Amino acid sequence: MIKPKFDELIHAPTRLSIVSLLAATEWADFAFIRDSVDLSDSALSKQLTILEEAGYVEIRKGFVGKRPRTSARLNSVGRAAFEQHVAALQEIVARAGASVLPG
Amino acid sequence: MGEQLRPDEAARALAEIGQRQEQVIRLMRMPVWFWWVTAALMVGLTAAVESRRPIVVGIGVAVFVVGLVTMVLRIVLGSIRHAKPRNDLVPPAGVMAILGFVAVVLAVTLPAGFALKATGVSYPATLSMLLAAALLVGGGPLLTRYLHRVMRANVTGGL
Repeated sequence: MIKPKFDELIHAPTRLSIVSLLAATEWADFAFIRDSVDLSDSALSKQLTILEEAGYVEIRKGFVGKRPRTSARLNSVGRAAFEQHVAALQEIVARAGASVLPG
Repeated sequence: MGEQLRPDEAARALAEIGQRQEQVIRLMRMPVWFWWVTAALMVGLTAAVESRRPIVVGIGVAVFVVGLVTMVLRIVLGSIRHAKPRNDLVPPAGVMAILGFVAVVLAVTLPAGFALKATGVSYPATLSMLLAAALLVGGGPLLTRYLHRVMRANVTGGL
């Protein structure tokens, strides 16, 4: 049973998109996240750094051939925080009833 | 802030989460051409083996191996180049559906092959493989759609 806990850090719109994407993956390439969430390189770097400093995300830098490649993964702390955040959102919606669900 | 969040805002956030996770699930989706190519490769290999001519068998095996490896690499590398979807995204029901699909194909194809052989028609294995191919082409996309549905339901409590 997941204990609902609203997470301010995750709930910021851009970070919510990034963390949602990462929650469904083992890891995701920087370019994949950037293109999926439609952010600039610098904006994504900034958000990933915030998530890394919060202890939610691990960032790996490596090379594929001679090309640098950065990937990110949600660690167990981040995953737990995300699941608790989702549970908190579901609780808010459930309290209000189904009428608020987007069509 | 959680307590102050309006229900419609929470619902929008949940919709956003669902949409982002859908993007990852789509990476795992088997394209329709996968089923057609698999079916064609299987029929081609069986017909080649059943021809009993060494050169045809050799070509048939080579085409099958190269075709299969190319297809799998293209699908797997194409998706994991961007992101590696979570291993537990396919729930037990999805695994059972895949195994069930394979079982149905075998349950239909094998008896058909033996029955055709018993009647003495030429190329019985190829004919039964055509039946398997029809099942793959018809049922494969249905299986893909089902897997897509159960994965969506599986990820973060079915958003």
